Amino acid sequence: MNISYNWLRELIETDLTAGELAERLTRVGLAVDTVHEFVAGGDAAKDYVLEVDVTSNRPDCLSHLGVAREVAAIEDKRLNTRAWQNSKIQTAKVSGEDAGRIENRELDLCPRYAARIVRGVKVAQSPMWMVNRLEAIGQRAINNVADITNYVLHEVGQPLHAFDLNRLTDERIIVRRATVGETITTLDEVERTLDAEMLVIADAVRPVAVAGVMGGLASGVHSDTTNVLIESAYFIPSQVRRTRRKLNLQTEAANHFERGTDPEGVPRALERAVDLIWDIAGGTPDVSAIDIYPRRSEQPAVRLRFARIGALVGLNIAAENAREILKRLSFTEREHEDGAALYVAPSWRVDIEREEDLIEEVVRHTGIDRIPSRLPLATTGGEYLPNERARRLARRTLTQAGYDEAINFSFIDPNDTREFAVLPTLESDERHDENSDDKEARHDGAVDLSNPIIENLTRMRASLLPGLLNAVRHNLNHGTRDVRLFEIGRVFASRDDVASDKAHDEREQHRPLEREALGMVAIGGNREANRFGVARPLDFYDLKGALEAVIENMKLPALEFKPKDFTHLRSGQSARISLHGKAIGSMGRLAEAIETRLKLKQSAFVAEVDFNLLLDANQITSRYRPLARFPIVARDTSIIINRQTTFAAMRNSALEIGTEICRDVRFVDVYEGANLPDGFRSLTLRAVYSSDERTLRDEEVDAAHRSLVQTLVERFDAQPRE
Amino acid sequence: MSDITVETPSIETVREAFEQEFGRFAVLSENPSGDADGSRAAEDDMRAVADLRTRHLGKKSPLATLKKQIGRVAPDERAAFAQTVQQLEADITTRIAEVETVLSEAVKQASLERDRLDVTLPGRRAAHGHLHPITLLRERIDDVFVSLGYAIEDGAEIETDFYNFEALNIPEGHPARSSQDTFYTTNGLALRSQTSTMQIHAMERRGVPLRVAASGRVFRRDTPDATHNPMFFQVECLCVDKGITMGDLKGTVEEFVRRMFGARTRTRVRASYFPFTEPSAEFDYSCFVCDGAGCRVCKQSGWIELGGSGMVHPNVLKAVNISSEEYSGFAFGFGIDRMCALMYGIDDIRLLFENDRRFLEQFS
Repeated sequence: MNISYNWLRELIETDLTAGELAERLTRVGLAVDTVHEFVAGGDAAKDYVLEVDVTSNRPDCLSHLGVAREVAAIEDKRLNTRAWQNSKIQTAKVSGEDAGRIENRELDLCPRYAARIVRGVKVAQSPMWMVNRLEAIGQRAINNVADITNYVLHEVGQPLHAFDLNRLTDERIIVRRATVGETITTLDEVERTLDAEMLVIADAVRPVAVAGVMGGLASGVHSDTTNVLIESAYFIPSQVRRTRRKLNLQTEAANHFERGTDPEGVPRALERAVDLIWDIAGGTPDVSAIDIYPRRSEQPAVRLRFARIGALVGLNIAAENAREILKRLSFTEREHEDGAALYVAPSWRVDIEREEDLIEEVVRHTGIDRIPSRLPLATTGGEYLPNERARRLARRTLTQAGYDEAINFSFIDPNDTREFAVLPTLESDERHDENSDDKEARHDGAVDLSNPIIENLTRMRASLLPGLLNAVRHNLNHGTRDVRLFEIGRVFASRDDVASDKAHDEREQHRPLEREALGMVAIGGNREANRFGVARPLDFYDLKGALEAVIENMKLPALEFKPKDFTHLRSGQSARISLHGKAIGSMGRLAEAIETRLKLKQSAFVAEVDFNLLLDANQITSRYRPLARFPIVARDTSIIINRQTTFAAMRNSALEIGTEICRDVRFVDVYEGANLPDGFRSLTLRAVYSSDERTLRDEEVDAAHRSLVQTLVERFDAQPRE
Repeated sequence: MSDITVETPSIETVREAFEQEFGRFAVLSENPSGDADGSRAAEDDMRAVADLRTRHLGKKSPLATLKKQIGRVAPDERAAFAQTVQQLEADITTRIAEVETVLSEAVKQASLERDRLDVTLPGRRAAHGHLHPITLLRERIDDVFVSLGYAIEDGAEIETDFYNFEALNIPEGHPARSSQDTFYTTNGLALRSQTSTMQIHAMERRGVPLRVAASGRVFRRDTPDATHNPMFFQVECLCVDKGITMGDLKGTVEEFVRRMFGARTRTRVRASYFPFTEPSAEFDYSCFVCDGAGCRVCKQSGWIELGGSGMVHPNVLKAVNISSEEYSGFAFGFGIDRMCALMYGIDDIRLLFENDRRFLEQFS
């Protein structure tokens, strides 16, 4: 809302400069964003324009009059209304002959409708002073009649509409609802189809304006117009808002009406406009004005206990001062007694309903800056989210492992997500079966947006991986080749009929499942800080190692990895990840089809786990174990095994069959390639032997180890490597 | 005797023979900086000198022959002869020793030189990643709230209208509720448009008195540009107890910005409007770059907008069955992305969610 300083000074004789005014208005809640100088053409006086950011509760301040009222309260001055009092015309009661001209059939939607006719006007350019005024506040001059309605709107905040009387069939006005399918071509030359919920201003035959929103093209003021009917009305805000939205129209008039105008200001605005038309465009106003206002709007009486001001605000404001402020703001006081009073807000205020609203009036005009600061006494201690420490450790472990933290939009393109398996915790119970080899463990519980803003980004993500891969793609496109990213964020799946004891919103039952997931992606080489030589290509085990480091730092037991196919992973390089036997996610090399779609020239490795499960899992507590008193003996053995035999299976077997002195079986190395038959690899294991009672003899260890190897060879159809 | 004379070299011959061979080493003792280039020359010289010592001082050296002659020289000349021979031996020994000292130092130097490192080469470590600037800021904000006695809360990102609007005193028809601004799912749930939803959940779960703070993602239907994203981060703080006043709000906001931006940070306040607070206020804090003097970051004003605040609206308390006669509270919140952009000088906030490594690796 732009306010002209000179214009404002016609309404209130302020002593403050434009800059001072900006500061004072800002402090009482009318934030002035900028003040700039405006120099009109010709010999017009220099002006200043204040750009006021009017909050949505104060539509009464969307005019010079409204701002002037606040200034009057700030400076304890009276408004200067001479311009209106000098009006050459007087509002008369509805005269007999005009009573039938206007009919209001919708008093609930239009509680007040006033109009006045001016005959014999001459449509022409506006005088320079008015053009300058309008230009100062950023309005374009059109013609005198249109400019006058616009001028009055910005002066007093009441939208007006001028009809060409001769273009109204039977010179009649009917305020009614539109009929279904009725159409009107509005001023913007668009034909609009109306419905029965919409209020229109009609003549004897057809709609001539969408009430409070926009006038019709045909009935508007043209260059040859001579007789005009000026409308000034009060429309119910919700009605205007609904209609305006349905028609997808945004107009200055609707902006005022839908926030709330002053029903008592209707005749004053009309009078002012007619006065100006008479002055500027000539013609003769009809003797009588029409003003249909059978049910007077009432403001509620709100009780203010003066002691409540100090209790809520923390500054003792004397009752006298509070009463003075409310008086300056035109509140009417009734029944002042026992430290309380009833107040009725002036008709232009739409925001006064309760005691706190009155307190706000008092405090904003007293100055919030005058309230002494203090810190509230605490009865509770500060606390982080449960496991915040583990959360931070996880993040830092990942950065130390070379992963940058990504944050992606929560909505994604459904086309990017099709192949991606969701977290096991997002799958519904019936569908989820840990032992099933169903490659198509599909999840159909998508959460879609009904009104996306970015084309294609229409679905709430069920997996972090598509977003992370898009980020990889972005990096590759910008010449960054080695990319490791992680994200911790929510993923979503719809549910039906969620049990809820919350009765206040039936949609509670549609609340989707939200889980926090940890997603990781790695592509390219294993970089060293500040060293830019040829890097070793990242592989499955780099990603797995980073994830294991996270688990270890979160003090969780080792994850279990089991070969399993997923739609988004390359078969044979993919694993189901479990914790305590419960499936929590997957990892592996990205499926070839996706690599091709994303035009990746190198293999990408991805992992996704349910991060909430990690945070909620029982942490391991460290406990001291006595150090070994007797020497530990290690024996390495290489065994040639089929590629489908896993290290985990061999290790578990070895531990199971090993004698009491066999304490652990560890991974040393794996070899594939020359000298080995196709489909086989050589696995080197280290068996660790020790005893708590004595030093083991060589022969004893040799015998145990021989037997261990022999059993493994037999059980896994393997052979020892020489 | 003549045999002996023939076999026995004269002292002069021995001295001359030594001088001749020693000649090339003699310069070394005067020029001890010999092998600064790390070459093996000093080691070779060292071996040559050892060989020289053997040949001129060893058991089979001409000098040894001379020494054996001492007993055979006529008694009256013996003393003089012996002295001359001993003098010769001492000369040779001393001069070789001198050269050896110089050479051994040179050998040591050469060895150090060969092992010289370039200490300016980068240390060896794996490349490390970086936390997102939003995370860095959220953690810092959480730390400050916890230090002020607040419990950190978390909440759903997809909400019912009740939590996102109704309970926050944003009734049907309020501009903030327009689907112009709020994302909806196909079954009518809203993507939360402000972290204030936390207020209702927290009061339902914890009851009063309470002090909570929560940060997280919020969503609004803004087309991305340099200053807008359809998703961003906010933080919200709520304190409800008996006797809480706007003075507590002021004191808390002031303490919060001091802990965030330094003890010298000042605030200013003005009246404002938010549906879920009454009275409402907006706070500015003195610019953390120029300390209020005016700079590019604060657009020369010296002040940076924090965000909205106020006393919890009675209707909000009523929504969770708390009596506004008995309890009062304050809430304040602000956008994290904007603060992040100002703190790090990010001129286009779309960068925050592009996850470009060149961007991410600038923060730690």
